[in-house]
Amino acid sequence: METWEVFRRHGHREPFEHCGTVTASGPDMALLTAKECFLRRREGEHLWVVRRSDIHSFQDESMLEVGNDKDYRFNSGYRDVVQKRERAKERAKELASK
Amino acid sequence: MTYEEKLARFNAHIEAGGKVEAEDWMPDDYRNGVLKFIEMHANSEIMGAIPEREQVPRAPSLKRKMSLTAKVQDEVGHAQLLYRVAEDLGKSRDAMFSDLVNGKSKFHNVFHYPTKHWGDVAIIGWLIDGAALVTQAALLDSSYAPYTRVLKRICSEEQLHLRHGEDITLELSSGTESQRAMFQDALTRWWLPIIHFFGPRTNVEKDLLLRWKVKTRTNEDLRQEFLDRYVPKVLELGYRIPAPVPFHDEASGHWLIRDEDIDWAPLEAIKRNEGPETARRLGLRKTIYDTHRWVREALAEPAIHAA
Repeated sequence: METWEVFRRHGHREPFEHCGTVTASGPDMALLTAKECFLRRREGEHLWVVRRSDIHSFQDESMLEVGNDKDYRFNSGYRDVVQKRERAKERAKELASK
Repeated sequence: MTYEEKLARFNAHIEAGGKVEAEDWMPDDYRNGVLKFIEMHANSEIMGAIPEREQVPRAPSLKRKMSLTAKVQDEVGHAQLLYRVAEDLGKSRDAMFSDLVNGKSKFHNVFHYPTKHWGDVAIIGWLIDGAALVTQAALLDSSYAPYTRVLKRICSEEQLHLRHGEDITLELSSGTESQRAMFQDALTRWWLPIIHFFGPRTNVEKDLLLRWKVKTRTNEDLRQEFLDRYVPKVLELGYRIPAPVPFHDEASGHWLIRDEDIDWAPLEAIKRNEGPETARRLGLRKTIYDTHRWVREALAEPAIHAA
């Protein structure tokens, strides 16, 4: 018996999402078991099973951290747009009246 | 089931708002049309990184240099996401790269123009990304589902790029007269290409992609949304919009441009790959592709662990 990771998709807008695991002897049994466990109430219409041993991840999750000096990658890095817009409009008026 | 029956079932599925996945049956015209459309989008992302890349060394501060570099990285990333989706429709990435540099496939008109200074970065980041966001958001409901799923990610990053572009615009606009003149100069050069960006009026009868709901709105409808959203913002900052000049229609509340005021000749030249920067940019793309061959080869090797 092996462990299988189960992914399901509801509709077409969202990607497949992990929803749980099952134990089974092969892909066909894994799909059948996953269907019984995870699609019992029409939680999705599309199902994948992947052998757990075929999944790879980082051993050291600190590898995934984003440097904290990169605020330009986030909306929060541009929070003061309203004040800046007002300042630019003021400047336009000031030059127009000159 | 005969081809005609399959086609009828496909059309009914689309008509009812159904979505299509890569592994589903689809008519060849649908497959080829979607492939060409997504390939053109991918080409535009990768070619669109070049004009901004040209301005990275001219960034006025380290912070601006870092943020513009990050944006270029995002755009190239969009190209990779889109080429991946296109590949699943049956064309290899190598074939797409080679068609691009050999002028056999297209990329968006705005990336065929030169950049002159930092004012161009403001225009590209604010108005061109703004225009792109209007067109891409309209595709979020496209009938080709794998495209809509990557577009979600792309649109959220474009939203950030728009803030980045507006931030640069507002900084220049609050600055000295010569800083404001830079923005005005860039606006004057870019306005017509931005109007062209949406394309000529859609021929609703003939447009297969529209009928199959790959595209959801007409070119003129998207251009109108852009004008209504951005013309007031540009004017309130005190800039002058060149020809084709939009005017406010009191009755409808829209900012309109007359069809006859748009000179389409420059867009026609670009369609023949005869834009001002077409040859040079494609040459650069080819040079980058060739000189990076060793990187692709190294990545294709199985990992070798250091002892």
